[in-house]
Amino acid sequence: MHTGIHGELLKIKNLSFSYEGDEQVLKNINLCAKDEESIGIIGSNGIGKSTLMKLLVGLYLDYQGEIEVAGHPVNKQNLNHIREHIGYVFQDSDSQLFLSKVEDDVAFGPQNYGLSDSEVERRVKNALEKVHITELRKKYTHKLSGGEKKLAAIATILAMEPDIIIMDEPSIALDPRNRKNLISILNEIKSLKLITSHDLDFIMDTCTRVILLDNGTVIADGKREEILGNEELLLSHGLELPLRLQRTE
Amino acid sequence: MNSIEKNLNELNKLETLQQRSHWMNELHPLGKLFLSVLYIFIVVSFDKYDLVSLIMMSIYPIFGFIVGELSLKDGLYRMRLILPLVLFVGILNPFFDKNVLFYITSNGVIPSDLSLSGYSLATFTVIPVTGGVLSMITLMLKGFYAVLSAYILIATTSIDDICYALNLIHVPKTIVIVIMLIYRYFGVMAMEADRIVTAYRLRAPSQKGIHYKAWGTLVGQWLLRSMDKAGIVYESMLLRGFKGDFRIKKKKLKLSDFVYPALWIVIFLFIRWK
Repeated sequence: MHTGIHGELLKIKNLSFSYEGDEQVLKNINLCAKDEESIGIIGSNGIGKSTLMKLLVGLYLDYQGEIEVAGHPVNKQNLNHIREHIGYVFQDSDSQLFLSKVEDDVAFGPQNYGLSDSEVERRVKNALEKVHITELRKKYTHKLSGGEKKLAAIATILAMEPDIIIMDEPSIALDPRNRKNLISILNEIKSLKLITSHDLDFIMDTCTRVILLDNGTVIADGKREEILGNEELLLSHGLELPLRLQRTE
Repeated sequence: MNSIEKNLNELNKLETLQQRSHWMNELHPLGKLFLSVLYIFIVVSFDKYDLVSLIMMSIYPIFGFIVGELSLKDGLYRMRLILPLVLFVGILNPFFDKNVLFYITSNGVIPSDLSLSGYSLATFTVIPVTGGVLSMITLMLKGFYAVLSAYILIATTSIDDICYALNLIHVPKTIVIVIMLIYRYFGVMAMEADRIVTAYRLRAPSQKGIHYKAWGTLVGQWLLRSMDKAGIVYESMLLRGFKGDFRIKKKKLKLSDFVYPALWIVIFLFIRWK
C-alpha cells in the first residue's frame, strides 16, 4: 500500500546476519534507498543476495543492526505493516502462484488486508493491466507458460500496491521476447525496486543504481555505468561485464 | 507421460470441471454438501436386504451424471483407488449368511417359504438367493452410490467452496484451513515427486520402476524438497498478508439453492419410507 512517503523508504544500518550459529552471511551492511529508485543487487552465487532480500521483508528476524522499511523498524510487531509496503517476487513463480485461477491469486493479497470487494476488484484489474495480461485473468495458473507465470506473479505483488518491490532473479528462464517484455513492464513501474540478478544486461536495462555484494559485504554502490562498466571490479568478484559491453575480438 | 504426471493432469482436469459454468456448479455449496451427506446417510440406512429401494436411490447419481454433464467413465477412473475397497467390503457375506431368502426361476421369483416340491425341476432352472448374496450386493451398491455422490459433489464444487460450506456449518476453523493447505501442498508434493522420478528414469532407462535400494534416498529427498518448496509457498502467502485464515468469497443465496436440495430431500424421504 502506498504510504505517500517521499525520500528514504529503506534504511539499513550495520546489518549482520548468520543462520543459526553458522558463519556470518551478511557483515555490516549499510544502505539507503529512495522512492522510485531502481536498484540492482549483483554478486556471485551464495554471497547473501537472497538472504538480504528476505531480511527486508521480515522472513528472518534474528539479525543484528537496524532495518527500517517505510519508517518502521523490521521486527515482529511491525511485520504486518511492513509487508503491506513491500512486495516480494520469488525466483520460482510456481511458488508464488498457489491458487487455481490467475484472478484469485492476484486478489489473495488485497483480500488478506481486508479491503472491500470493489477495491479488490479495482486492484486486480489495475495489476493485470500493468503487466498486460488482462486476457489471462480467468486462466488456470497451471496452464500458463513460464513467461506468463512470471507476469502473473508480478501482478500478485502489484495488486498490493507496494512502495517497494523486491525481485529475486526475475529474468531467469525467460525467452528473449518475454525478457524484453518484462524489462519494459518493470521500467513502467514507479515503486522503489530492488532486483537481484546474475543477468547483468537485465540489470543494465532496468536499474539506475547497482550494489555489488561479495563475501557478505557491500563492495561497491553507485551508478549502473560506473559499476557495470568496471571490468576489473566485476572480474575480481566472480562476475563479467554485461554482454553488450564485452568487446568482440 | 509417467503416472504421477498423469495423476497431476487428472487433478487439473477435475479443477477445470469444478470451475466450468454449469448451473449445478453455480448452486450454493452448502446445499450441495448437505445433499451429498444426507444422501450417503439415507443410502447407508437401508436394510441389508432392501435391494429394490436401494436401486431406486440410483436416481440421484444418474441425475447428477446426466444433467450435470459428467462422464461416468472419467468418474469411475478417478475413483478407481477407492472403488475396489467399497465394492469388496461385503465379499465374505455369502459365506456367513447362507439362509435362502428366495429362488430365481425361469418362471419368476419364488419366496423361500414356498415349497418347491410341487414343481417339476425339469421344467425350470432354480437359483437360490441367500441373505449373504443379497446383503453383499446391497453393501456394494451403498459403497458405490456413496463414492458416486462424493464425486458429483467434488466435480461441481471447488475445494474453496466446500471449505466455505464447512465454515458456514461451524466446522472448526483449524480443520478447514488444514484441508485447504493440504490441497494446496498436495500439488507441490506431487510436482516434486514427478521431478524426482523423471530425473531417476532418465538416468536409469533400462530399469523397470525404481530399484528398491533407491527408494529410501528418493523418498527422503522428496520429503525434504517438498518441505522446502512448501516453505517457500508459505512464505509467499505470509508476504501477501496471510494470517492463518483464507478469505473465501461469500456466496449469495438464490431460489434454486433452496429448491434443488428441497426437491431431492422429498425424493429421498419418499423412497426411504414409501
